[in-house]
Amino acid sequence: MRVWRTIGLATLATAALLLASGCSLGGDDDDDNGGEAVATTDTTATTGGDTGGDGNLLSTVQSRGTLNCGVNEAVPGFGFVSQGGEFEGFDIDYCKVVAAAVLGDADAVEYMPLTAEQRFTALQSGEIDVLIRNTTYTASRDGSEGATFLTTTFYDGQGMMVRADSDYQELEDMAGATICVLSGTTTELNLESQFNARGVDYTPLAFEDNDPLQQAFTAERCDGWTSDKSQLAGIRSNWPDGQGGPDALRILDVTMSKEPLGPVVRDGDTTWASAVNWAIIATLQAEEFDISSENIDEALGSDDPEVQRFLGQPVEGEAFDPGLGLAPDFAVEVIRSVGNYAEIYDRNVGPDSALGLERNLNALWTDGGLHYPPPYR
Amino acid sequence: MSASTAAATRRPPPWRDVRVLRVALQALFLLAVVSLVLFLLDNLVFNLRRLGIETGFGFLDQPAGFAIPDSDFRSSQSVRAAIFQGARTTLVVALAGIALATVLGIVVGVARLSPNWLVRRTAALYVESFRNVPVLLIIIFLYLAVFLRLPPIGRAVEWVDVFVLSNRGLVVPSLAGTGSTGPFLAVVVVGLAAAVATWIWRTRRFDATGQPHHRVLWALGVVVAIVAVGFLATGRPYGLSLPERGDLGVAHGFRLGPEYAALLFGLVLYTASHIAEIVRGSILAVSRGQGEAADALGLSPFQRLRLVVLPQAFRIMIPPLANQYLNLTKNSSLGIAISVYEVTKVTRVSIAQGSPAPQAIAILMLVYLVISLSIAFVTNLVNRRLALP
Repeated sequence: MRVWRTIGLATLATAALLLASGCSLGGDDDDDNGGEAVATTDTTATTGGDTGGDGNLLSTVQSRGTLNCGVNEAVPGFGFVSQGGEFEGFDIDYCKVVAAAVLGDADAVEYMPLTAEQRFTALQSGEIDVLIRNTTYTASRDGSEGATFLTTTFYDGQGMMVRADSDYQELEDMAGATICVLSGTTTELNLESQFNARGVDYTPLAFEDNDPLQQAFTAERCDGWTSDKSQLAGIRSNWPDGQGGPDALRILDVTMSKEPLGPVVRDGDTTWASAVNWAIIATLQAEEFDISSENIDEALGSDDPEVQRFLGQPVEGEAFDPGLGLAPDFAVEVIRSVGNYAEIYDRNVGPDSALGLERNLNALWTDGGLHYPPPYR
Repeated sequence: MSASTAAATRRPPPWRDVRVLRVALQALFLLAVVSLVLFLLDNLVFNLRRLGIETGFGFLDQPAGFAIPDSDFRSSQSVRAAIFQGARTTLVVALAGIALATVLGIVVGVARLSPNWLVRRTAALYVESFRNVPVLLIIIFLYLAVFLRLPPIGRAVEWVDVFVLSNRGLVVPSLAGTGSTGPFLAVVVVGLAAAVATWIWRTRRFDATGQPHHRVLWALGVVVAIVAVGFLATGRPYGLSLPERGDLGVAHGFRLGPEYAALLFGLVLYTASHIAEIVRGSILAVSRGQGEAADALGLSPFQRLRLVVLPQAFRIMIPPLANQYLNLTKNSSLGIAISVYEVTKVTRVSIAQGSPAPQAIAILMLVYLVISLSIAFVTNLVNRRLALP
């Protein structure tokens, strides 16, 4: 019997050694795969997510026929589900832009609503192809979250909303206040650093999503609600009349941070990133050329070679193909089915919409704003 | 004869020898499991590297960047410190919840067996309503429909420095150290030790002579006397911190916030309904002969319950109770829905602010594993003490 016990102990010891040598989750220097004892991992390890490996997402999406777009479903003006169950908003329109450019069909989109805490994990795991969900471009997201940020579509800032009957004018007036914020956002971090910098003491109340937050704000549990100014404008515009309507709320004239919002894709797939990026830029370039969904057909017959090149029309020979993997005339489908930047902006968040936001920083560079589309050539 | 003994001691070949096969198959299975685990780990590391996400635990030293309300945690402290703060909150909620749920559960469980019709029906109503509703809904309901509906701070209910009640919390006076508290705490420890000694002395005296021991009164008296003398002798190191209502909150005092209260009471109400059923089942499982014998001895119904039935029922109910305690501990993670900063919420916020998800969740699971194993260990000890020899 001693023989069996020895054999059993020897097996356990081998197994333990294998496990110990395999536990190298940290501290490895950059050798190829963190080379482990198990030899089969090289070719079979690329099973994570839907992408099928580097550089392939464009062809994967085109063969799948739909675009998986991570969006918000609770922010009026940006990502919102209407009464009829349709997704509408600025970010939703940009999902349509990408689908129109990549797939030729603006409606071939699968919208996946995500909370602020889930969005980057969903992107990293391949559950979504692109994240267009009022996400701020920051260094840590670029670095440790494995995300690549594309052209900023909306230049925003963080603001503070209070009840109209309170007399706060500046952040310094809010000493000792309780401030409601969405958890997992840059808003939470900025709130902390802005109040610390001013030496003002406050209590944060961070909720997962806007529903309990709105209840707490209405019940006067918190004195201020901080978020991107565009989101606050949307919430204010939707404030129920039973609680005083939009006039019951006031947004302070304080900008607490820079919030450049734009679409995000995963690191490691530059073909996909370039393709999506130029789909976005096409809307800005279209506004610069004064091409909209209304005059696209006249524009197709234009004499201007710049316009011709942009719209992918042949100019004395082959149509211009910048090698992005998109059809040469992708811009035509984008403009026809969704519109140019001005139309997307005015439809969702413009001065005549419920949010009533002026262009300001979101105007083209020729009108004093920050949008400066790179040349299409 | 030599041929038969030779046949008896000759072993079958290894592939037919059941002892070899048993060990060999188990060893093969173990190797297969280990290989699978290593393959999965390697796959994870490969994919994390491909995405440029770090695969180590260095994120624990990064500054957290977010604040945790109702604590001394500063946003410049590390993620590791944030997780500890969250774990402390989870532990407090779990322990307080276990204590309250046990008391309530035993009371309701016994009430369900009461001869009084109204008491019995009320207890049954409580148990059936809370057992059949998901605990998350109970917690959210308590928060949104009960605690947030309390008057806002501008119209708070207050009673002359004793308490302030609003939807920002219930604030009561607390003890605040005003001097050096070390010597006083030492006196308290001495007092408690003296009380334990007194208890043992009085019990021994009762066993020897049969005279009533009044040990609770004696022990309490000893503790109170020593602590009072120590308090005066060390220069009154504790004072009362009375709540003062301001426009935006209440200064000083001890505050029970609405979010924390909703989580705690939601968990207690839910778990107590389950514990009540366990208690009722355990009492019914004690043989009827015990109850009848107690009656025959002339014990009152309360004495029968307290001295005969409940002690035997305790023995039966400890394992299912341990299960409910573990459930309560894990359900405390539902605090994320109403902004209670226990360890799950802290981990989720730190993931959203850049910590790598696989490692952070692994640490979170480890925290719950440690807490749960400790609770299971303690209940196992109690179980063994109460087991029939």
